[in-house]
Amino acid sequence: MKTIPAVFAYTFKEHVRHKAWLSSALFGLVLLAGSLVVSALAQDERARLMLDLGLAAIEAISLIGVVFLTVNLILQEVESRAIYLILTHPVKRSDYLLGRFLGTLSAVAVSMAGMAVMHAVLLGLYGGAAPGRYLAALACVLGKTAVMGALSLLLSLALTSEAAAMAFAVFLWLLGHFSSEMRFLADRSGSSLLNTTIVAFSHAAPDFARFNYRDFWHQPAPPAEWLMWTAIYVFAYTGACLALSVQLFEQKEF
Amino acid sequence: MNAIRFQRVSKIYRRSHLGRTTETAGLVELDLDVPKGEVFGLLGLNGSGKTTAIKLLMGLHLPTKGEVETLGRRAPDIEVLAKIGYAPEAAYLNRTLTGRENLRLFAALSGIPRAEREARAADMLEKVGLGKAMDKRLSEYSKGMLQRASLAQALVHDPELVILDEPVTGLDPLAIKEVRALILWLKGKGKTVLFSSHDISEVERVCDRIGILSGGRLVKVIKQDEWRGKPDYLEAAFAAAVTRTDGVGPIRME
Repeated sequence: MKTIPAVFAYTFKEHVRHKAWLSSALFGLVLLAGSLVVSALAQDERARLMLDLGLAAIEAISLIGVVFLTVNLILQEVESRAIYLILTHPVKRSDYLLGRFLGTLSAVAVSMAGMAVMHAVLLGLYGGAAPGRYLAALACVLGKTAVMGALSLLLSLALTSEAAAMAFAVFLWLLGHFSSEMRFLADRSGSSLLNTTIVAFSHAAPDFARFNYRDFWHQPAPPAEWLMWTAIYVFAYTGACLALSVQLFEQKEF
Repeated sequence: MNAIRFQRVSKIYRRSHLGRTTETAGLVELDLDVPKGEVFGLLGLNGSGKTTAIKLLMGLHLPTKGEVETLGRRAPDIEVLAKIGYAPEAAYLNRTLTGRENLRLFAALSGIPRAEREARAADMLEKVGLGKAMDKRLSEYSKGMLQRASLAQALVHDPELVILDEPVTGLDPLAIKEVRALILWLKGKGKTVLFSSHDISEVERVCDRIGILSGGRLVKVIKQDEWRGKPDYLEAAFAAAVTRTDGVGPIRME
């Protein structure tokens, strides 16, 4: 555990200095500006449109960023062989993986915070949003980001191909939005094999319906119990993906 | 006490492609003891097993058969890794970090207390001649500077055992002379040094013993007494001992 902070620090620094990360922040700016333009078309609903579009942009950019960064996180270090020097020091592989993951997630979270500040300033100018709901929405986006990051890391270690891992991550991300629909389809299917397959996929894919903060949009803030279960789900899913990643990573030779 | 021990160690690489598995022997039944304080050179052609032997010592590979020990413990041992310095054949360092940041990272990973890291990093960079470039990112370093930074990371934690994989390959004559002086300085401080090389003249100048590897087998071990004062002895012994296994024929210009 002692080496996690050192691995975390260099990973965070590496991402902050990475030009791809800066371009995603720029992309965020462009999208936020776009939301301003779109909201100008609907005077009555301007604040709500800006809120929804801004949050959707922050979520999309954060998810694209975390998938791209975590898929490349270990594979690039293997390709550049920088991993040789890290693992030949007294570093447990689990600590290395955890440090790399947390460093990446923190870099994405900082980028997300930057975008949220810009968004909040814009919202403040055009009517604003309840801070409790807004923070809960951001927490949900961060939760999704953590889950997708851990899943992408696991896929990159299992498939050892950046393209395949990214394709699978996107596929599971899409499935994650249709978990309940998939279970409904499984119930209706006549074949038990098809039923088992669909149910297995629906459980393996993250259940993003749990992160749907819009269900509580009419309330001042989402109920504490809902937030707690969402947080437990994030920790459980992320933890399971990281545990499996460690299992795979322990067996690798370089 | 032995710093390094290989006991009947074999390493077989298995590769599967389209259902077909091919096996290549990286090392075959290697038996070798290197006592503490000795400078031992591994000499061999490309693909003879030098790097495989080093990777087994550093825990980057696991033996298919046999046991590898470093400093009296079965490799890889996390605590023992803190007492080993390793410089691979090329400088696989993180190019987004500066020289100083890289050394601070490796000092932290080696368990050096926070209060000492800065001083140790700066001191070691000064020693390898990078004092003026320590705050530049490694992406701005030349090949020679990177090689020096790689040596610095191997020595920053004052290791008992130093393992250098082809440390003079690609260096200019002046740098080669400096690496030779470094190895002799380490020997003077009672450190154990194992290094691999293609270069017979370098090995004979600094080693107490050399081992010749061919096709993954240790075919000959020669003590310094045997070659001292006998020019061309090592070259003749090497040529007689090795067999090309990489399918490359000799160069003939007739």
